[in-house]
This record gives sequence, C-alpha cells and structure tokens, in this order.
Amino acid sequence: MPTEELNQFDIDRTRGDFRYDVQYQYDAGTGLTHQTIDYIVDAKGEPDWIRDWRHKALDVFLSKPMPTHWASKDLENIVFDNIRYYLAGGQKPSRSWEDVPEDMKRTFERLGIPEQERKFLAGVEAQFDSEAVYSNIKKAVGEQGVIFVGSTDGLKNHPEIFRKWFGKVIPTGDNKFSALNSAVFSGGSFIYVPPGVKVKHPLQAYFRINAENFGQFERTLIIADEGSEVMYMEGCTAPKFETATLHSAVVELVALKGAKIQYVTVQNWSPNVFNLVTKRAIAHEEAEVKWIDCNIGSRLTMKYPGVVLKGRKARGEVISIALANDGQHQDTGAKMIHAADETTSNIVSKSISIGKGRATYRGLVHVPKHLKGCKNNTECDALLINSTARTDTYPAITVRGTGNACQHEASVSQISAEQIFYMQQRGLTEAQAMSLSVNGFVNDLVRQFPMEYSVELKRLIDLEMEGSVG
Amino acid sequence: MSSLKIQDLHVRIGEKEIIRGLTLEIPKGEVHAIMGPNGSGKSTLSKAIGGHPDYTITSGDVLLDGVSILGMEPDERARQGLFLAFQYPMEIPGVSNANFLRAALNSRQSEGEEIEAVDFYEHLYEEMDKLEMRREFTSRAVNEGFSGGEKKRNEILQMAMLKPKYAILDETDSGLDIDALKIVSAGVNAQRGPNIGCLVITHYQRLLDYIVPDVVHVMVDGRIVRNGPKELALELEEKGYDFIKDALAEPVSA
Amino acid sequence: MSTVLLEEEMTDTPAAPARLLSAGPAAPGQEAAWEQFTKIPLPTRTDERWRFANVKDLDLSPYLQPQPVDETTREELLARSRGLEKAAGRMVFANDQLLSREVLSESLTRLGVVWLPLEQALVEYPDLLQQYFMREEAILGGQKFAALHASQVRTGMLLFVPRGIEIDLPVEAFHWLHGANSSCFPHTLIIAEERAKVTVVDYYESADTNAPGLACAVNDLWLGAGAQVTYVCAQNWSREALAFQINATVVGRDAQARSLFAQLGGRHVRSESVSHLRGPGGRSDMLALTVADNAQEVDARTFQIHEAPNTSSDLLYKNSLDDAARTIFSGLIRVDPGAQMTDAYQKVRNLLLSDDAEANSAPGLEIEADNVRCTHGATSGQIEQEELFYLMSRGISKRAAQKLIVNGFLQEVIERLDQPEIGARLAEMVQAKFAAHR
Repeated sequence: MPTEELNQFDIDRTRGDFRYDVQYQYDAGTGLTHQTIDYIVDAKGEPDWIRDWRHKALDVFLSKPMPTHWASKDLENIVFDNIRYYLAGGQKPSRSWEDVPEDMKRTFERLGIPEQERKFLAGVEAQFDSEAVYSNIKKAVGEQGVIFVGSTDGLKNHPEIFRKWFGKVIPTGDNKFSALNSAVFSGGSFIYVPPGVKVKHPLQAYFRINAENFGQFERTLIIADEGSEVMYMEGCTAPKFETATLHSAVVELVALKGAKIQYVTVQNWSPNVFNLVTKRAIAHEEAEVKWIDCNIGSRLTMKYPGVVLKGRKARGEVISIALANDGQHQDTGAKMIHAADETTSNIVSKSISIGKGRATYRGLVHVPKHLKGCKNNTECDALLINSTARTDTYPAITVRGTGNACQHEASVSQISAEQIFYMQQRGLTEAQAMSLSVNGFVNDLVRQFPMEYSVELKRLIDLEMEGSVG
Repeated sequence: MSSLKIQDLHVRIGEKEIIRGLTLEIPKGEVHAIMGPNGSGKSTLSKAIGGHPDYTITSGDVLLDGVSILGMEPDERARQGLFLAFQYPMEIPGVSNANFLRAALNSRQSEGEEIEAVDFYEHLYEEMDKLEMRREFTSRAVNEGFSGGEKKRNEILQMAMLKPKYAILDETDSGLDIDALKIVSAGVNAQRGPNIGCLVITHYQRLLDYIVPDVVHVMVDGRIVRNGPKELALELEEKGYDFIKDALAEPVSA
Repeated sequence: MSTVLLEEEMTDTPAAPARLLSAGPAAPGQEAAWEQFTKIPLPTRTDERWRFANVKDLDLSPYLQPQPVDETTREELLARSRGLEKAAGRMVFANDQLLSREVLSESLTRLGVVWLPLEQALVEYPDLLQQYFMREEAILGGQKFAALHASQVRTGMLLFVPRGIEIDLPVEAFHWLHGANSSCFPHTLIIAEERAKVTVVDYYESADTNAPGLACAVNDLWLGAGAQVTYVCAQNWSREALAFQINATVVGRDAQARSLFAQLGGRHVRSESVSHLRGPGGRSDMLALTVADNAQEVDARTFQIHEAPNTSSDLLYKNSLDDAARTIFSGLIRVDPGAQMTDAYQKVRNLLLSDDAEANSAPGLEIEADNVRCTHGATSGQIEQEELFYLMSRGISKRAAQKLIVNGFLQEVIERLDQPEIGARLAEMVQAKFAAHR
C-alpha cells in the first residue's frame, strides 16, 4: 500500500504534537462562575433559553460530588479553577478551506483534514479549541436535506429539531461531567438525517486542543429520522502540555424507527488529557445503534457509550478497543438499557495494558421485568503485557423475569514468553513479535472499523508497542 | 566451515545442568539424527541452540558456518539461517498464517524492502500443495485449533518458505499418525540437498524409516554416548535404550 | 422499687430480654467491638459494596438479645437436630447456648485435636484465640455486622486439627434461633495445621419457620501448608429472618479449601466470603447454591485474593429465583502484583422462574500480574421451553418438570463438593424447600 494513503488518517501523537501561538479574540479566562456562562453566551450570540439552561447546569455541576466512590481518585487532581472554558478566534465556521485563518489552517493541514475530505468523506467539521473553524458538507448530501453543522449553528438555525432532542438522551444531571458540559459546551456537531435518506459516505469531525490548561466541551447531537442511515467518525488529538487538560464531551444520538447510526471514534490524546465523555443513544423501534470506539492515549479516560433500547426489536452494540500505556488509565465500557421487548444488545470489549498502564472495563446491562425476548451478550478480553500492567473488569447485570437471556464472559491473558520465542525463531524481532500478537488480539474488532481507520489503528498500535519491549 | 558445530556445550535450566558437555557437527548437505530416552536433554538442546531465554549456556559454543551464534538474539540466529521445528508449536491467536509468514520473510529482506504479495502467494501455494494443505489454511490463525498433524505440517511449511541453512526438527513425529508422518517426512525429504544440514531429534526409530539419516547419535544424560551409521537406529529400536545405558562406560564425541 | 427487684429475684421467670441496640456488649472484653459497632453507620445505597442491595431492610431495632431456651424446647430442638448418618462429632446450640456436645468418632479425640465451645476454648486455649479469632477484617462492606458479632458472640465452635491429623468423618454444628425477634451470633473457627484434613458442616435453623429474627454469623477457616478443609454451611433460617454471614478463608502453601454455602432460608440474607490465597500452590473452591422464592433477597459478595504465585481459585455460584425473589452476586478476583501463574475462575448462573424475580450480577476482575489465567462469566436465563416440553411429553407435569430441571441446575454445585453424604443431605433440604413452596 502506498505510504501516502497510510498517512491519510494519520493521527499519531508525534504528528499531533505541535502547536501554534494563536491570537484568540475570545477568552473566558480561567475558572468557572456564572459570569463565565454569560461571557460564553454573549460571545456566541446565543438565545436566552440556552442562557438559562446553562446557568441551571452550572448549579447542578457545582452541587454534584465527584464520583470518586467508584471511580479513580485521580479525578480529584482536576483543578477546575485553572481551566480555561472558552477560547475562540471569533470567526464563523468557513465553508471553504481558503477562508480558514492561516495558523489554524496550518494546524489542520498538518493533520491532513482537507485531504481526507476530498478523498471520500461526505462532510467534515473541524474544531479548534472551543469553536468549529471549518465546516463543509458535500453538495449532494446537503441536497438530500441532511443537516451537518456545529452545535451553535444547530441551536440557532434549526431550533425546531434541535430543542426537541437536545438534553433528552443525556439529561444535565446525568453525572457531574455531563452537567459541566451542559454549562459550558461549545462546538461539536449537529446532524439531522431526513426520513429514508441513507448517507453513503461517512461524516467526519475532527477535534483538536491547541491551548494549554484548556477544557474542550463539545456537544454532539445526531438525529437519524425514520429509516435513515448515517455513519459519523470523530478523531481527536492534543499536543503534549505540561499541565493537565480537560476534554469533556457529551454526545447524544437519536435513532428513530428503523434508522441506523454508526458512531466511530478513534482518539489518541496526549498523556495529560483527562478525557471524561458521556455518550448515549436512544434506539426506537427496529433501529440500530453501533458505537465503535478506540481509546488510545490520555491520562484518564472515562467513557461508557450506552444505548437505551426504547422500541421493540431495537438493537444496540458497543465495540471497543482500549490501549493503556505507561501512566494511563483507560476506564471504559458500555451501558445497555433494555426498555422494550425483543431488544438485543452486544458488547465486545478488548483492552491491552502495557507497562504501568491500567485498563478497566465497566459495564451495565439492565433488563427490567415484564420484557420478553431480550438478549444481551457481553465479551471482555484483556491482554496484559509486562508484569506491572493492570486490568480490571466490573460488569453489573440486572435481569428480571423469565423471557430474557444475558450472558457475560471475560478473560485475561498475556502474551507468553514461549509465543514470543516462537516468533523470534522465525526471524521477527521481539518488538515485531509483540506488535503482531497485539494486532492479532484485536484483529476481529479492528475489522469492524472503516478500512482507512483500521489501517491507521494498526499503525498506532505498532507505535505504542515500540517503547514497550525490553 | 559449512557446518553447524556444537562444541562441548553445557546448558542449565535454573540450577539444573541438562546438557553436560555435548559435541556434535552437522555438515551442510547431511542429515543427522539424535536419538535418546526421555529426559536425556534432546529438547533442551534445540531450545538452547535457538536461544530460548530460559536456558543458560554455561560453557561451550555453537558455530554456524564458523560464526558463534551464542551472543545473538533468537531472531538474529533465525535470520542467520537456523530453523527450529518445534515439538509443540505455539498458537498465536488472531494472527493469520499468511501474515505471519510474510512478516518472517520480510524480516529477512534488507531495510525498506518487502516481498511482493503476488510472488509470495505463488510460492506459498506451491509449497502448501506439496504438503497437501488446503488454501483456507492461509487465513487461519497460526496453529490455533490445529490438530497435531496440522501443526507439524505447518512447521515444515514454514521451513520450506524460510529456506534455512540448518534445521533442527524436534520430535517432529510425536503425535502423528502414519499418514501424516509420511506427508511430513516427504516434505522434509523434498528439502534435503547440498544447501541444508538437518538435525532430526526423535525418541523412536519409526521416523528414521522415512527420513533416512546419514549419521545417528545417541544421547543419554546430556551427552552423546554413541555415534554410528543409520543401522544404529535399528539396533536401538531392537534392544532398547537400556542396552546403551548398560554398556555406557565413557562418553564419546562425534 | 426494692419490692419489685425482690419479686424478680424470687420468681423463676427471667427479666424481659433487652433490645439488642441498647444492650451493650455481651461480656466485659467486648466493649471495643461494641463501640466500633455503634460508631460505624449503616450501609447506604451509594456504597459500592452495597450496590443493588435493599439497604432499607437492615434495621436492627426490632431484635432482642438471645435468651436461654427452656428444657422442653431444648429436648425438642435436640430431637430436630438431625445431621448426617455418620459424623465425627456434633454440637448443638440454641440462642447462643450450648445444648449438647457429642463425640461420635475417636478421630476427634486424637492427640492434640481441640474441639470445644468457644467460651471454654477461651479459658483453655487463649493463645489460639488470640492468634486466630476474627483476625481477618471484614472487607466486603460488612464491618458493622462483624463488629456487632464480635460484641455479641457468646459461644460457637473451635476446631483445631494439629499437624498431619486427618479427621475421617464430618464434624457438625447446629445453630438454632428460637423466639420471636430473637438474635443469635453463630461462630465457627477452624484451624487446620500442616497436612491436617477435616470437613465441617454448619446447620443454621429456626425453631419457628415464620418467626422474625436476626442471625449474624462468622466462620473463619485457617489452612496451614498442605491442609485440606471442606466447609459446608446449610443456611435455613426462618423465612422472616434477617441474616448476615461473614467468612474468611486463609489458604496456606499447597493447601486446599473448599466451601459451600447453601442459602435456603431468611428474608434478607447477606453473605460475604473472602478467600486469601496466601501460600504458593494454594487452592480455594468457593461454591454456593441459592433457592430463593417469595420476596427473599439473597445478597452474596465474594472476593478471591491471590496474594501468592501459583495459586488457584474456582468459584461457582448458582441461584434459582422464583416469585419476587432477588439475588445479588458481586464478586471480585484480585491478583496481586507478583502473584504470577494464577488460575482464577468465577462463574455465576441465574435461573429465573418468575417474571417478578430479579438477578443482579457483578462479576469483577482486578489483575496486577501478567502471567495469569483468569476468566469469569455470568449468565441469566430461564428454563428452555424445549427442555420443559421434552419432559412434559414424557408425562411429567409442568411443575414437576420445572423442579427436576432446577434440581439438575443446582446439582452441579453439590457434585463439586465431592462428598456424597453431605450432598444428599443438601439435596434433601432443597427438596424440602421446594415442597414448602406455595
């Protein structure tokens, strides 16, 4: 395969590890008060209903304790007062690449964003710190009535659809960080796919943190109307900063009757990012929602994509890969809430812990009573490399009644010395042998990613494995 | 110079000495057999030559075409032309046979060069046909869920693809029925020639009916105690290892 | 005032039993535990170790301190203490009072074997108790109830089996709870020294199967190098009882522990069981079977802690749930750093027989060593229609067919015990529970 093609989706950290000094027109300063909220609303020129909504969310955020009674104590190291909650250049998202300010353009060009768009994507939204700087959707898709804009644009210009679903899948008070996002969100995507429209190519968003001590709080809302289909892909990076940086997104998906949504994430945060994301979908009758999630990098990631299976025969799926290297904690998992008959859910999670890395799986499966014909299947496999690595699995399964079946299986294994010796005897170096084994471990899941992403994923894994031998 | 030469080798696992002064030379073009009772150290010998980290070589040397390989990592030894056919080949979940072999072949190319996919498959299918292996085998994970016979065939296929200078076949006959044994032996015999030296390690004479050795060595307690022509294997089969042990006076060297 | 006192002293009727919560410690020496008990708050919903549990059900205020039983009751309960056909010895307690102690096999009188009620052991073997009595902290959420037990325990069984001694037949103990709202605090302490071997069966029973009551039991097993201990606890408290049981099993080098908890009775049962695999080569088999019906809640928490390399643990918990029963299984396997070559398994299976039944499973793993084999699995399902149909097509009624299938489901646990006589006794108790089910 020509190398040019490989680089197409290049989001490895060495490539992402650069930043430019950018002149921000808007900067909400550090710390979070009700004044910060007003500053954000004024800067963005938002309507009053959202101002009230944000203020209420801030109160909820301040009143909620940290979830450290079950989650990592590392959360206590987030100093909310040191974080900058809103940074933006002040321009509207450009429709054309040429209009994007020079310094931001350089950043995204280094990351290969416009190239990708030209190649095959139906639309791209690129977010630089708080705001989208570039947003485009292929003409053909726009003509089908597909809306693909930033969240601000969505709430201002499509209120009739936006308000109907916004905050309904993930209420403000769902958890402390969803409340935080609700108070200060900026950027993210708003997508509406009209009934019966099948978006052929994926829509893509790219999130980048450029400023130190910055918190990125994008908010994404996707509504797939009856019988429609859409695939959305997001990539995330940040350069290496000295101090911790916060990324706390909220993603809400609504799949109406018979609709299909696939949401693909490949994140490769630098190792000081706290990545605390709430993602949930509602699947109506016969709808299908599939989360495909790959978590590499960050200091602490907490993310448990969920599906509320609200309509009969709805189907939810979470496919996730987590790779925890030295000093990283990937605390990921899935939630499946069965709320209608004959709903099915499937969770496949694979994690790799390297060096002093820690991978945790947390799962929640809930089948309330008087439902019939519900099925859940969960598989969690953990691979440990190095005796200092750690892995945890904490599923919680509640099943009521006689019409349903749930099954959970988990295993922990390691790459044995004998396996490595065998491969070395055939001429592979230890690092090659490790990489091949790890890729083999995740192979069946990687195949579920879009082709371009799976190539990139393999490369990312190779890169992570390089330092882990010896 | 063109030989695999083992000189007065001593090998320990932990505190226990398993190989206790073993000397042996396999010239290129020849097939040697090592026979010995269980626990004589036969398998230790192959792993130690391969560079397995659990085996400590306390003294002696192993020379491949005159160059000592003892300071090399296992993969360097392999790239120098050493091949081990394992008694218990490892399963590698998720890694397909084709990808594995390609990675192994690419590791032998110079920096930045890779085997062309078309050439690779052409060559692979040719060798697989010789071993009567089905095409679907290429996409299966290495040795995963393979029967004993399939695993051994896979070892011989890898040997054919990697074209080693010296091959050590460790108990290749174990776990094989007679049909599988014939196929595997035919595979090995097809590779015999002036450019390869083979060391066949076995407990039973049966294998040597099919892979006929030039020289037979008998190993007891970590040393070579008898050398002889192929007929020695028959004698052993008939009289059992006890006769060697009983007759054992002083160790000899090859 | 003095006349009242005088009357009480003169009559044979005892004073009204004290409420447990205002009773204070059972005896001097238990004050510290009492103080601890009063200091620790009741569990709340947000405590992860009580996740899923109905914590509102844990009110201790109705319960009374245990009172000695009268002679008639004593005779009756002794008659009802039907154990195994062959046992090495049997103790019977009622309301924390020793009713009888019978040595049935001379293996119990072998040199060095100590088999005594706790209060006597405290006098004769203070060092043993000092060394082993409740030395492992309750770490699964039940500290308050462990402290309550420590402050109230009056008797129980101490069994010390010295080096190399094997006791051929099982040793049994019956604990009876008698009287409305009475409480009791059964204690079993088994210490098996190097290569010692013993099997112990505890039976927990209520005199009146409908009387409310509180039982708060502790059973600790200590296994020296190469020791083999099998422990069975057949819990059959009244259907209105609130019950706690806290177990710690400490497994030394190459030792083998096997425990089985049969949960049949109780309104709300909380069981905590911890295996410490402390010596290389140690193994612990942790088994449980639950037959829950009506509004029973059976809440089982387990912990397999691999502290040393080359250890193995294998847990199998099976729950059958009928009516509006709830079960909770929350188990954790932890492999400490350095505990390489660990083999750890954990399996929970829930069979739901009713639309109102609810099974909660939270099987967990925490692995900090890389050369390990750990798997866990949890399934929840119901009787396969096909299976039921097959049996019914042979003329078996639906109800009988269901029972057969549930029995078969639980049988796997009983068989893993590998003690046919005890297994048969347990199967009988399961049958009795089914028979009593309305």
